[in-house]
Amino acid sequence: MIFDFELIADSIPKMLMGIGLTFQLLFLSAILGLILAVLLLLMRISGKWYLSWPAQVHIYIFRGTPILVQIFIIYYGLPQFEFIRDSIFWPILREPFGCAILALTLNTGAYVSEILRGGVLGVDRGVLEAGAALGLSVRQKFIYLTVPIAARLSLPAYSNDFISLMKATSLASTITLVDMTGIARTIVSQTFAPYEIFISLAIIYMILTWVFQKTFGRIEKYLSRYVKPEGLA
Amino acid sequence: MKLNMIKAMALGACAFLTVGTASAETLRVGMECTYAPFNYRTADGELAGYDVDVAKGVAEIIGADLEFVCQEWSGMIPALLANKFDLVVASMSITEQRLEKIDFSIPYRDSIGRIIGKSSKDYKLFDETGVAIPENFSGLRVGLERASTYANWFEAKLPEADVVFYDSSEAQYLDLRNGRVDLIMTNPMKAYLRFLSKDEGDGYGFASPAIDEVKYFGTGVGIGLLQGQPELKKRLDDALTQLIKTDKLTEYSLKIFPFPIYN
Repeated sequence: MIFDFELIADSIPKMLMGIGLTFQLLFLSAILGLILAVLLLLMRISGKWYLSWPAQVHIYIFRGTPILVQIFIIYYGLPQFEFIRDSIFWPILREPFGCAILALTLNTGAYVSEILRGGVLGVDRGVLEAGAALGLSVRQKFIYLTVPIAARLSLPAYSNDFISLMKATSLASTITLVDMTGIARTIVSQTFAPYEIFISLAIIYMILTWVFQKTFGRIEKYLSRYVKPEGLA
Repeated sequence: MKLNMIKAMALGACAFLTVGTASAETLRVGMECTYAPFNYRTADGELAGYDVDVAKGVAEIIGADLEFVCQEWSGMIPALLANKFDLVVASMSITEQRLEKIDFSIPYRDSIGRIIGKSSKDYKLFDETGVAIPENFSGLRVGLERASTYANWFEAKLPEADVVFYDSSEAQYLDLRNGRVDLIMTNPMKAYLRFLSKDEGDGYGFASPAIDEVKYFGTGVGIGLLQGQPELKKRLDDALTQLIKTDKLTEYSLKIFPFPIYN
């Protein structure tokens, strides 16, 4: 087969017109998802069963089912109910953008809350005991000791999830949103050149991943600035 | 040169044979026999449908007997080329690609698109001459199948319209019913069979006339025959023209649909 470079040069700018929407989906659901994750985490470690159970159920459902299925249930399933179409949420759920944000947020929230829990559990007992010895309250210990250490411990896993989320935004193209993948699919169905177009699309996503990886690497370095590298102590 | 001579002789022989048997001519017609409502078997095993009616109508005019041959779709053109039957009357659209292999009569069914929306809204989207009024599309969201002929038509005629693209027509109908899109454009026959004639299509109807611009929607559905049979083609064309003139095609379509599928 002949690789049509002209087609690639033509279609990359077209696909980049969707990058704004990809970013909107990514950052909005990442922020909302992080808020949700913290809420779920607090519910899980609250020690109260009526808070912890709902959080666990949410996490189990959204980690246990494919994100594509979640998007379809929210987009096609919910409007089947009259009361949802009459509710105040309909202006959001009517729009494919709202549905995509909701699905991505609920999904990433479940994963990130587990990542954060891992961070919290990873905080050294000794640090907390030292805090207690200094007379810090439970809340103070959590805010001043657990949170910064847990954040540092969670970051590598979190950056992983962030990149997964970026790739998951491409699924929004299945519910009529015209993000980069949506544009690519339209071009493919017009040109019958899936190879060239999807490879170009993959390259764009890889460049984005590289940028995000580097950014997270810097943040990691910054958060670890007081931690001596092992072996040099 | 020699080959051409042989070809010409073969053609001559064919023509002679056709003429020779004209009195008791039997035309073998290939169709799927499973493509309701165009060609299918009724509960008592009789072939019925629009294609069947057209084939019978044509046969009556040209004075030939009919023999139906049921053939699976993907093998339809190969079977015609292998002389398993003489004609294809199987809702086959006339396309450039097929014209390279076989000939077609004039169309006996249109390739058309129509817009569907809530009947109660009474959108005035088209003027009396059937031309779209772009202003009246503003504020309306239109659902189209990705890279379909309908999408091409919209892009050319109403570039300002707010359109969204679907990968399946099922999704299109769902979102029309859910109120995410106000209008969809699709094939009116399929829309009628799958949506408008069903309970879920209650309250929805056509919001446009039949749009049949050949440039976007193609020529339509024709009778397929082997190449190099100008005489047979002419007889088919004449017969179809007569069916059109006597409103027979409209009559056949009204047996199935509440609207004609030939203009």
